[in-house]
Amino acid sequence: MAGLYVKPGNKERGWNDPPQFSYGLQTQAGGPKRTPLTKRVAAPQDGSPRVPTSETSPGAPPMGPPPLSSKASRPPFVGSCPPSSMEPTNFPVVESEILLEDVLKPLERALEDCRGHTKKQVCDDISRRLALLQEQWAGGKLSMPVKKRMALLVQELSSHQWDAADDIHRSLMVDHVTEVSQWMVGVKRLIAEKRSLSSEEAANEEKSVATAEQNQTMPGIQHDP
Amino acid sequence: MATYLEFIQQNEERDGVRFSWNVWPSSRLEATRMVVPLACILTPLKERPDLPPVQYEPVLCSRPTCKAILNPLCQVDYRAKLWACNFCFQRNQFPPAYAGISEVNQPAELMPQFSTVEYVIQRGAQSPLIFLYVVDTCLEEDDLQALKESLQMSLSLLPPDALVGLITFGRMVQVHELSCEGISKSYVFRGTKDLTAKQIQDMLGLTKPAVPVHPARPAQPQEHPSISSRFLQPIHKIDMNLTDLLGELQRDPWPVPQGKRPLRSTGVALSIAVGLLEGTFPNTGARIMLFIGGPPTQGPGMVVGDELKVPIRSWHDIEKDNARFMKKATKHYEMLANRAAANGHCVDIYACALDQTGLLEMKCCTNLTGGHMVMGDSFNTSLFKQTFQRIFSKDFNGNFRMAFGATLEVKTSRELKVAGAIGPCVSLNVKGPCVSENELGVGGTSQWKICGLDPTSTLGIYFEVVNQHNAPIPQGGRGAIQFVTHYQHSSTQRRIRVTTIARNWADAQSQLKHIEAAFDQEAAAVLMARLGVFRAESEEGPDVLRWLDRQLIRLCQKFGQYTKEDPASFRLSDSFSLYPQFMFHLRRSPFLQVFNNSPDESSYYRHHFARQDLTQSLIMIQPILYSYSFHGPPEPVLLDSSSILADRILLMDTFFQIVIYLGETIAQWQKAGYQDMPEYENFKHLLQAPLDDAQEILHTRFPMPRYINTEHGGSQARFLLSKVNPSQTHNNLYAWGQETGAPILTDDVSLQVFMDHLKKLAVSSAC
Repeated sequence: MAGLYVKPGNKERGWNDPPQFSYGLQTQAGGPKRTPLTKRVAAPQDGSPRVPTSETSPGAPPMGPPPLSSKASRPPFVGSCPPSSMEPTNFPVVESEILLEDVLKPLERALEDCRGHTKKQVCDDISRRLALLQEQWAGGKLSMPVKKRMALLVQELSSHQWDAADDIHRSLMVDHVTEVSQWMVGVKRLIAEKRSLSSEEAANEEKSVATAEQNQTMPGIQHDP
Repeated sequence: MATYLEFIQQNEERDGVRFSWNVWPSSRLEATRMVVPLACILTPLKERPDLPPVQYEPVLCSRPTCKAILNPLCQVDYRAKLWACNFCFQRNQFPPAYAGISEVNQPAELMPQFSTVEYVIQRGAQSPLIFLYVVDTCLEEDDLQALKESLQMSLSLLPPDALVGLITFGRMVQVHELSCEGISKSYVFRGTKDLTAKQIQDMLGLTKPAVPVHPARPAQPQEHPSISSRFLQPIHKIDMNLTDLLGELQRDPWPVPQGKRPLRSTGVALSIAVGLLEGTFPNTGARIMLFIGGPPTQGPGMVVGDELKVPIRSWHDIEKDNARFMKKATKHYEMLANRAAANGHCVDIYACALDQTGLLEMKCCTNLTGGHMVMGDSFNTSLFKQTFQRIFSKDFNGNFRMAFGATLEVKTSRELKVAGAIGPCVSLNVKGPCVSENELGVGGTSQWKICGLDPTSTLGIYFEVVNQHNAPIPQGGRGAIQFVTHYQHSSTQRRIRVTTIARNWADAQSQLKHIEAAFDQEAAAVLMARLGVFRAESEEGPDVLRWLDRQLIRLCQKFGQYTKEDPASFRLSDSFSLYPQFMFHLRRSPFLQVFNNSPDESSYYRHHFARQDLTQSLIMIQPILYSYSFHGPPEPVLLDSSSILADRILLMDTFFQIVIYLGETIAQWQKAGYQDMPEYENFKHLLQAPLDDAQEILHTRFPMPRYINTEHGGSQARFLLSKVNPSQTHNNLYAWGQETGAPILTDDVSLQVFMDHLKKLAVSSAC
């Protein structure tokens, strides 16, 4: 969902900079290892270095081509490759255009819902950042993966899946911090405010249901809430 | 032999403990003759997904000088509801809550498979996690931007009720007052003058926080309004403002003249950070995260002057006593480290620069408190960004892996005493019957404090057998040790992890073979290595090597099978066969060889060596080498020049670097493009296999290693060539008469020569 990819490190600024894993890959629990690289070979006790088994001919003479691929390819190589490759995978343009309104409208609606419950200053701050988001999106400054993930985030937010929405916000902050850092914290706060608003509403509902039931209770008969 | 390996592995998995000896020599005299001390490697918070914590408090032995915790080794009288402490033999009454226990209804802590148990402490206020960022602003524009973004990102990774604060510094030190209202304020300090804790607290207007929790009311994590201060606020309130504040940070405005370094007041900045936390949150888990882009150049703790033409000290300068600032600077940071440790606060250092930044002088800050030390070239690299992200990684329960404010206590049965510990800890100076007078590592105590730790933090703990030579061993007698770790879990709960182990005593005279068979050469190698590196901090390099060699020769004399004066007859049993190799590679390692490394680099390597678990420590001592070819699945090969072959790909893991090396023929095939031809698809797979395996290592390792992809003849191949045993050099190329493997141009001693000398010395009756 959140993009599983590995991109190369910054070779200009750091020598031998390791590749960078996307948030989605990082948070994946490690499955069983392909080849746990923890074994060692004891040095022979009599002192001569052991020559590895079956030397092939390429040595001093000019090299021939590698052995041809046979039908029965060796399992260790064709085995369970992890779902990543070493190139970044920005899924190309088969997707339909993601409209700014589809993302911005639900966010603004959510903000409106929170206005009664949240301090004015916080709402203004969030609103300011949503405006910034709009400006950057309309100005073409946001990349496709960011837009895609924002659409997903808004979907999760609308379905009250707070943890999922939060996770997407985190993945965007980790993978695309340069693009999103200015306004994403507003979205993060919005998710938090909506979450607390909806749990307050749920609590109020429970209370009113309980009082309603109390009023209906016949003397002598217990109703379990 | 196979059963002991299984036994060792099972114990490590269950208890996070590995002993150098698994059958213990029963007298002090015999124990010293074993050469390798009785010691263990302990990972106090080893990840145990299968071990749910119990929600009650541990039962303690009632003897005030003992207070051991109820464990599976205790004798229990279920009828009388009594238990006998296995350490002091005191008979204790079970508390009322245990009234219902019986042989068929045992509490978890008495069951044998629960030699390790974790308790959750219910009472007491739960204090939030605290993160104080201390940021150097004397950075290049790109670097500062990358660092700012990483810090902003981290605000999304921290839990909403964590407290966060910000101090920035350059020539001056600025403490930012975090508020939700519009105007941001900060307190500015001169970077040249150190201040006492009290002065800092007065100038910042800090008052002691009011008692936050009404005793009758259980604490809710959200409602701690009085616990935060103006400088440390909860994320859920401050994240938007702090994001903006970070976004607006500028480079240090003081202009840097040509030929000069920027004036960087790291010493005062750190001092203010420590003082701030001391004044507001003493004895609470907290993390000071120091980000630096160069060495401290002014004020207390300065490591080099601001003239670029005077370089920062090298090992050569230190040996010639030509490092002007080193002693004073080290003293300054040691003072800060001790104060932080006393308050349970840990200090991380993230140093990204092309030149040294003073890690040698500042290392006590991380090493005494259990903080992280990360060394990179720039904040705008994946190495820094990923490593920094991984600090906030979560476990299978969605909790941070980091833990705070731990105290480790060790109790032993009376035949043993504790000689000391080596790892990221400070002594708590707790004397008692378990404390030995002979010190190995941080000794003179049976309790240590580890302010910052995670599931891989590992200590080496050294013991002394104190039984007199002819004192009898009780029949079937076993010695026992209990490790008790109190700590603050990242969910803010206080927890106690208790591990109790036992091993058999044996008479070394009659049962040496049993003791031998139960030797754990891997654990022994790491424990001796930690001792060696510990010594190297205060002794001369050659002396440490001589000591290490001496111990190895004595070990071979004691446990080798040989006829006197006949080196060719020398043999070691399987349980010792890898040990000399480990010692050989240890002698050449950057932990003991400072040649070719800067003082900062050596400090960095030693820092990580002193805290990693056994598997990673062994990788650091003797890197892993795997060979990939068409001849079969990837296989481990000797770390030797004879393993470098034209038709192999090698993957070497030194912990700090992952090196992929293409043999000459492989490189030529790759250049010719065979991997793109469909009929040579297996070659494509061959090229990909080590890349995939490397990726698995890169996926989880902390800190992120360097990643080197090289080939025969490439300049980066030197990383591989310098590590392998040079069995073939320009000196012996023709003597061997073999044409396999690549000769290494070095005058270093090879493993063969080393072993020959070792055998000669071991069998000689002169030693």
